[in-house]
Amino acid sequence: MDKFMETLENVLMPIADKLNNNRYLTALRNGFMVALPFIIFGSIFVVLANLPFIDQWVGEEAWATYQDALGPASAATLSIMGLFVIIGIGYKLIEGYGGESIYGGAVAIASFLILTPQVTNFDLDGTVHEVGGVIPTNVMGAEGMFLGIFTAFFAAELYNYFVKKDLTIKMPAGVPDAVSRSFSALIPIALTLTIFLVVRIIFSFTPFDTVQNFIYTLIQEPLTALGSGLPATIIAVLLIQLFWFFGLHGQIIVNSVFDPIWYALNDQNLAAFQAGEELPNIVTKQFMDTFIVGIGGSGMTLAVILGIFLIGRSRQLKELGKLGAPAGIFNVNEPIIFGLPIIMNPLALIPWLLAPVIVALVTYFSMAAGIVPKPAGIIVPWTTPAILSGFLATGNSIMGGLLQLVNIGIVFIIWWPFLKIMDNQYYSNEKKADKETSNTGNRNVN
Amino acid sequence: MKRILLACSAGMSTSLLVSKMKEAAQARGVDVEIWAVAQDKAPKDMEKADVLLIGPQMRFMKKKFSKTAEEVGIPLDVIDPMAYGRVDGEAVLNKALELIGD
Repeated sequence: MDKFMETLENVLMPIADKLNNNRYLTALRNGFMVALPFIIFGSIFVVLANLPFIDQWVGEEAWATYQDALGPASAATLSIMGLFVIIGIGYKLIEGYGGESIYGGAVAIASFLILTPQVTNFDLDGTVHEVGGVIPTNVMGAEGMFLGIFTAFFAAELYNYFVKKDLTIKMPAGVPDAVSRSFSALIPIALTLTIFLVVRIIFSFTPFDTVQNFIYTLIQEPLTALGSGLPATIIAVLLIQLFWFFGLHGQIIVNSVFDPIWYALNDQNLAAFQAGEELPNIVTKQFMDTFIVGIGGSGMTLAVILGIFLIGRSRQLKELGKLGAPAGIFNVNEPIIFGLPIIMNPLALIPWLLAPVIVALVTYFSMAAGIVPKPAGIIVPWTTPAILSGFLATGNSIMGGLLQLVNIGIVFIIWWPFLKIMDNQYYSNEKKADKETSNTGNRNVN
Repeated sequence: MKRILLACSAGMSTSLLVSKMKEAAQARGVDVEIWAVAQDKAPKDMEKADVLLIGPQMRFMKKKFSKTAEEVGIPLDVIDPMAYGRVDGEAVLNKALELIGD
């Protein structure tokens, strides 16, 4: 068993290292980090704009006015989260290269806008009119997510390449330094944007018409279709658990690959939720964060803490329960993972891998069957306590909180026998140790 | 004054440890400044620190941090998983002081 563990760790460590230290995945993760405060701000207002029962109480008209008044909060943030991700990626990439990072963010967003068709279709009494001079917000939401990410990568790389080439305009001596510096960003930016313009023109001659269409149909749609399916989700869940079993931060490693997909799926749901349409996706960012992780942290260890309080006889587990409970409520569970311990503990391996998979299946099918509403696209901060987070994530539905309660029960039942064995072991070890110390104690007295 | 920096994925679980380490330091009368950050902030904060301790779940970041640590000239190490799980402020504080030396 030890040998097997060692081999597996030797396989996983380099993967974790590669994924976490990859320049683009790091920029992507940090880019999402830039967007997160805006996403959460918008989410709060989606929650407020959709509080349950109030519409019946204040009347339809007042309710509509209220919703309209709060609308801009999420329309300017959550619905166009791609905008912040693009700026974040461009900024962070150039920061990583030690360049002037603000230009990285600006050149990324400008490149993206060059590729974006600045028209929208407007339906007036059955005839469709094309309206120019607009930036459609939907391209900055779910639809443009992948194009935005790729554009930010390429734009920042090109910009950096041209800066490093040092293609600056040489000013004659006597020109103030500040003046020549103001030109130093000009050439790299101009060249970068020109390339994107050419790309846009080339694509207008293809059947795809726009780069947007090209990326969406060829990359985003297949990837999100794959990512929204149950097999890919189970694989992601298992990978996260497996990394954690070796004490490596599973989410930070796996999410850097899955986040763009999960966020795109999330945004599709948000758009449908706000339009009052049926939600298209079950698997979203919140499916993972709220129903698979957000019940005490990775592996849903709130149920483990509960188990410790209910069956723990050993001092070790009791102490751990006291230590882990306050943090566990807010989904921080390193004390449990390293303290129980879960890492490298053969007894913990089965419940650790099995419970999240079963929970994922139960969550998926209860949503597919319509018993529990699908996640509404609201991003709930991951430190939000369980039951409340489920309520918020499903667009203020009690069923979301109840599902989390059921999930806690499932995890608890799966862990029960294994926790019992661990507790018995610790308990008998402690008894043995107590006996020895009391024996030696007696001898000393004698 | 010894300045000890802890880093993990979001600076959450290490901040648990920070308060325990501060208690341990106070009890022993050691003058320290201890704080926790998310991993992406760590390189910047290393300039203000005398030592960097990495949460064991982020131990794959050690190689990357080592470069910055070398430039800034501070020691770094991964926190022992057992001490991390027990939130053993005393043990981690000892480790940090040992790394700083003197």
